[in-house]
Amino acid sequence: MYTATEYLFSGKADKSIFRENAPLIYLREDAEGLAVIQIFVAALLLLAVPTVVGSLFGRNVDKGGRSLIFRWISGQILLWACFQFICVPMILMEVDFIYVVYVYGGMTAVILLAAGALLVKNKKASWAVARIEGFDRKRLREYIFWLIFWVLLAFQLIQAVRLVYSDGDDAFFVAISSITQDANTMYNKLPYTGSATQLDVRHGLAPFPIWIAYLAKLVGIHSASMAHVVLPVVLIPMTYGIFYLLGRVLLPEKSEKLPLFMIFTELLVLFGDYSLYTVENFMIARSRQGKAALGSIIIPMTIYLLLILLRQIQEGEKISFKYYVLLASAGMAGCLCSTMGAMLCCMLVGIVGLCAAAAYKRRNLLIPLALCCLPNVCYVALYFLLGRYYVE
Amino acid sequence: MWNNVENLFREYMGTGLIVIIFCISLIYLWIKENRKYVRIMFIYVPVILLFLFFNPLFAVLLYDLAENEIYYRILWLLPITVTVAFAAVTLYGKLPKKRRTIYVLAAAAGIVVSGSYIYKNPFFEKAENLYHVPDCVVHICDAIAVPGREVQAVFPLDLVQYVRQYDPTICMPYGREMTVERWYYWGDLPDEMEKETVELSRLAPLAKEAGCHYIILSEEKEIIGEPAQFGWEIFGRIDGYIIYRDTTFSLEI
Repeated sequence: MYTATEYLFSGKADKSIFRENAPLIYLREDAEGLAVIQIFVAALLLLAVPTVVGSLFGRNVDKGGRSLIFRWISGQILLWACFQFICVPMILMEVDFIYVVYVYGGMTAVILLAAGALLVKNKKASWAVARIEGFDRKRLREYIFWLIFWVLLAFQLIQAVRLVYSDGDDAFFVAISSITQDANTMYNKLPYTGSATQLDVRHGLAPFPIWIAYLAKLVGIHSASMAHVVLPVVLIPMTYGIFYLLGRVLLPEKSEKLPLFMIFTELLVLFGDYSLYTVENFMIARSRQGKAALGSIIIPMTIYLLLILLRQIQEGEKISFKYYVLLASAGMAGCLCSTMGAMLCCMLVGIVGLCAAAAYKRRNLLIPLALCCLPNVCYVALYFLLGRYYVE
Repeated sequence: MWNNVENLFREYMGTGLIVIIFCISLIYLWIKENRKYVRIMFIYVPVILLFLFFNPLFAVLLYDLAENEIYYRILWLLPITVTVAFAAVTLYGKLPKKRRTIYVLAAAAGIVVSGSYIYKNPFFEKAENLYHVPDCVVHICDAIAVPGREVQAVFPLDLVQYVRQYDPTICMPYGREMTVERWYYWGDLPDEMEKETVELSRLAPLAKEAGCHYIILSEEKEIIGEPAQFGWEIFGRIDGYIIYRDTTFSLEI
């Protein structure tokens, strides 16, 4: 196998096919793989920025809010919600993609500054997250379980880079990212053929591929590489991060149970290919698609948020405003991932809300939960209204 | 409608073993778990969701709102992985310490036997490059692309899904939609392209009519006719594919 450039200079290629006026077409800047600086920028955008942004929630949402994992995931959820909030109106106004990059980039910078200022203000709490515990011989079994967990996770990440899953839907979603990055337009070209078309409202309301194009643009790599290689390496651990958060609520005592729980989730994912429709299949095989992020990140995160809501009600704790902001953000992030996400998130919040209202006799709880679903309801309404308008 | 819902559930379950383990986990947690908030989230809510999924009234409503193909995604709201793992760990905590290691191995073996190893899925294959598209697509696209403009090319069906992921300046008269039988797209051009023996006298006019500047055919096909007769030339041969170019159209800018 050769890279494009190796192929050109290997002598294997029939050089007569290269036109004189375009000899350097092979020398794409990203053809030789991800440069160190690009990996650094990607890590900054996908790990560091969300973690700092997640500090906005911190302990206000839950006891576990100080953990880096909670900050990373909640920060990314908020950033996704912001992206959805900015991108959809710009898609409907049919403005160039570059303006999304400017406006969303600016908004991210503002949120980052606010979160950074909060971190500096709460210096003590900020450093607490970096506490490292010493070795304890009594916890040997726990350490072994954690080691197994990390080995299995590393294996999945290596496989995500090493293997490719041929999925026809990539011809739509990844092509949209590539078109957006290349042509600076959003949902105005048919991804399968490249023909010009009127605005694709149905998919434009869930612009996860545009987010991928945004990342690719900032990192300076091809959208296909961003979607197929970089994102799985980030989004798969994010799912396990949510399982970890759930595990901490379900198994609060410090023991080997939590790492064992994590190992079992990994095994269930690794052996979750019992049908093509399972969320585990989507998580591992199609993690670059919005619907996979919906099933393996947004829905589990919503379940986690609802679980801590129920626990806080039971323990008589006050539910903070920031909690509801995060829950509403998860709903909006669901809209970003898939138009079905708007409905599924509302459904989950609705069912749990009704159960909680009945079980704890707290009817008032339904009001803030309904307000959290309001953005999703708006997107569903937009979907039907605009869908009809554009079809006519 | 009921049959559709039942079929979707059956397809989602696969062999059904994991779903059986999930149901056993629900029952086990119902007996053993005392915390109310955990019971609501991991017992009552999944049961309500299953009830809704199989409720014909709800199905009719949602089939109207969403597409019937994606109705199964309601099942994504069931926290199967977390519930099964949590039930397994809860049981682990109830066992005497001596038996725990054997139990862990047995539980892991149970999951392995009940499920299907994801990397054994036939759709997984070794990536050839960092774009995760076949190398031949990269090489062909790089060869036919013209900086500053789009070109139109017709590809064999096994390549169409990758072309525009890699290079969106390569346009095609048809793409992945042609590979999905249930969408009922087909036409004369793909029909000619996919024949074992390709007659250029038939293919060339169809490709020209579709505005193609290039035709890409597998070298394994038998090709009848001289391209020059129809205004085409062999532009190159890459990775087992022949690229024909329309000589009557200049791609110079």
